[in-house]
Amino acid sequence: MAALRDGDFAALQILLKAPSKDAVRQLCQECFSSPPAALGPLAQRACPGLAVSAEEAEQLVSALHNLTRHVVYRGLTRAEDILCLFPENFHQNLKNLLTKIILENISAWRNEAQASQISLPRLVDMDWRVDIKTSSDSIIRMAVPTCLLQLKIQEDAALCGNNPVVSALTVELSKETLDTMLEGLGRIRDQLSAVANK
Amino acid sequence: MGLLNFTREPVPEAVSGDMHNLNQLSAQQFSALTEVLFRFLTEPKEVERFLTQLSDFATMNKISLGPLKNIVKSILLVPNGALKRNLSSEQVRADFIALGLSEEKASYFAEQWKVNSPTLTRLAVGQTLMINQLIDMEWKFGVTAGSSELEKVGSIFLQLKLVVKKGSQLENVYVELTLPQFYSFLHEMERVKTSLESFS
Repeated sequence: MAALRDGDFAALQILLKAPSKDAVRQLCQECFSSPPAALGPLAQRACPGLAVSAEEAEQLVSALHNLTRHVVYRGLTRAEDILCLFPENFHQNLKNLLTKIILENISAWRNEAQASQISLPRLVDMDWRVDIKTSSDSIIRMAVPTCLLQLKIQEDAALCGNNPVVSALTVELSKETLDTMLEGLGRIRDQLSAVANK
Repeated sequence: MGLLNFTREPVPEAVSGDMHNLNQLSAQQFSALTEVLFRFLTEPKEVERFLTQLSDFATMNKISLGPLKNIVKSILLVPNGALKRNLSSEQVRADFIALGLSEEKASYFAEQWKVNSPTLTRLAVGQTLMINQLIDMEWKFGVTAGSSELEKVGSIFLQLKLVVKKGSQLENVYVELTLPQFYSFLHEMERVKTSLESFS
């Protein structure tokens, strides 16, 4: 998470050289979504469009990243709160444009932040089937139902970047195990409703 | 010897000799030995205890332990085969008689078999191969208060720890679910339960 720095707003004024409002919009979105490590390459791509030096492009991209991330972090949703962030002498029109762009994107950005937060491996899919065991080396004839449950688990998104590692785990449950599991899940559901009803 | 119920293979030669020796035991002695045997069959992990009890039996009845162990090996052939083939107590009795055991003792053993077979069947089913058996499930749920990207979050998460038996080792698998995923998981598991119950 980046904190707003003093030089950031000065750097933001470079946006006045942008060719169009859409270009600014595009740049804002790219700067928010980019992790800090990828800001360098992003600045290089933005350079020609803005007709600025590499160093200035880097400062701008970094400032935009900090600003957008800061707004999402604080959970600011009102125009006044965002406008307050800018210093007194900041270019009026640019300030309004940036605020407008941020407000347009804030809820999508918030969802993006939540989706990429650290977590334990996540469940992405589950499938099941029920088999009847009819024979084995310990009993020649039987009719025992059993359940096979396949869970697709994805490792922490932040660690994998663009190549999420999904592993499949297949577990076998007997009827007794399933009953116990359902008991546990039922208790979770009851506690969740108790919390929701408070 | 006619066709046996508990096995299709030829029985080792020593068995008829062992049955003959068994016939020499009194009814009381046979009953005590049968009790030791069934206690072992219903708790197959208690090998130490079984051997101790056999040894005590041998001492108390002035029988040498070696021959006694051979006799026990022969006797156990029948219940093991009977379990595999879901034999009735009449079939077990018929097999013992065919092997040379007296009618009285064969009937007694078959009675004990009838009493113990539900437990023994359940044990045998439990021994049937299970792939990645789910042993245990632990869970916790809570609220994400904040993160490095969002100062205030307030979303609910559910974490499950599944203990899975892979071969002879236990492996822990940790999974996190969102609330909608949890409800969908619960719904699916209830469907599985209905399906399993319709086949039981």
